[in-house]
Amino acid sequence: MYNYSELYQAILKGNLNLAKTEVTKAIENGCAADEIINSCMVEAMGEIGAQFEAGKAFVPNLLLSARAMKGALEILQPQMQKENTKLLGTVVIGTVRGDLHDIGKNLVASMLEGSGFKVLNLGSDVPADKFIETAKENNAEIICLSALLTTTMGYMQEIVNAVKEAGIKAKVMIGGAPVTQQFADKIGADGYSDNANAAVTLAKKLVSAC
Amino acid sequence: MIEQVSSLVRGELKEKDIFPAMGYSDSIPEQSVVDMVRQVCEDAYSICRLRFMYDIFDAEVLSKRDIKIGNTVFAPGGIITSYLPGMTSACLFVATAGTEYNEYIYKFKKNGDILTEFVADSVGSVLAEIAVSRIIPELEKQFPDLQHTLPYSPGYCAWNVAQQKLLFSMFPENPCGIHLTDSCLMFPEKSVSGFMAIGKELIPQPYRCEICNNLKCYKNRSKKA
Repeated sequence: MYNYSELYQAILKGNLNLAKTEVTKAIENGCAADEIINSCMVEAMGEIGAQFEAGKAFVPNLLLSARAMKGALEILQPQMQKENTKLLGTVVIGTVRGDLHDIGKNLVASMLEGSGFKVLNLGSDVPADKFIETAKENNAEIICLSALLTTTMGYMQEIVNAVKEAGIKAKVMIGGAPVTQQFADKIGADGYSDNANAAVTLAKKLVSAC
Repeated sequence: MIEQVSSLVRGELKEKDIFPAMGYSDSIPEQSVVDMVRQVCEDAYSICRLRFMYDIFDAEVLSKRDIKIGNTVFAPGGIITSYLPGMTSACLFVATAGTEYNEYIYKFKKNGDILTEFVADSVGSVLAEIAVSRIIPELEKQFPDLQHTLPYSPGYCAWNVAQQKLLFSMFPENPCGIHLTDSCLMFPEKSVSGFMAIGKELIPQPYRCEICNNLKCYKNRSKKA
């Protein structure tokens, strides 16, 4: 029986090589991909996210953990295909037009990916039509918008309107430092989260409502 | 129009400026991160070519939100304009850490090295500010008896970033190799544009974020935290 504590610590501490070694050990010990992801990796990412919220970890710690998680997921990929691990849904994510800041958005993308979503990361400075086109092509359940600047968050409203006009099923969730629940309600977004952990919880909730 | 290209001088990149840019306001990163910062700084000293371009125009405050620089009316908004009484001229500028440094950051992005990319990005923000700071001694030499403000930029203090188009229209095409995207973002990314007000009666004010009360802004949120 594999003990998950080493893999958990490897992701929490952002140790890429150890995470790869441990996830290989877990597979060799017959652990299912689902179990490895949900019983350990998502928990570790959740913990580093919580430490960040509490001011006990910093962006580099989050990035190291995300890198370790990504490396472990790459090793798990063939296992997931073999086990036909069902994806939770498809998310199109990007930083809105006029804004280049994408560190927070990339962390959310990593968390969603690690939690079992297919994530299409469009990068930064993304216009409304690109979000809609990608969501349509991939039958996405969620469009995830990020902005850091108060001068660019207003563009989220245009995207929400454009998504409604396009008549696609995707729910829109928003996040980023200047954004609030009040703002999300005002622009008609389907959801808001103020951190990467909450974004995963929200995405799961929105997918089940699709 | 004055344009200058210069290398970074050893000692100009300071960890006390870089660590806060990385989110370490009152603490020091762990040693592995410090080592990475030092390596990126070393690289910056060898590759970075700082550039700036500026010109001086007559300027005046038109209303609580609007100012005129040369023949162009800008709307920097109430926060910035409230600090401009006494402005008689303005130094309109662009400055950049340069295409060489941008390519350096991009290399990490392309390789998926998100941590070094983040460190290089943070150092790049400091480099862009150093490029702007190179203009200040030039101004002080040119106007020894006048006061000047710190730089104010579109996109900050609620000044609409779309006004970059107006600002760039007052420079030759692609000044210092900087171009604007349709969404008014600058490339190379580590670039700064804006103006510094000049005038005998100006009262120098604190740095941009210190004068802004926009509670939605992430800078103010982090100050509160």
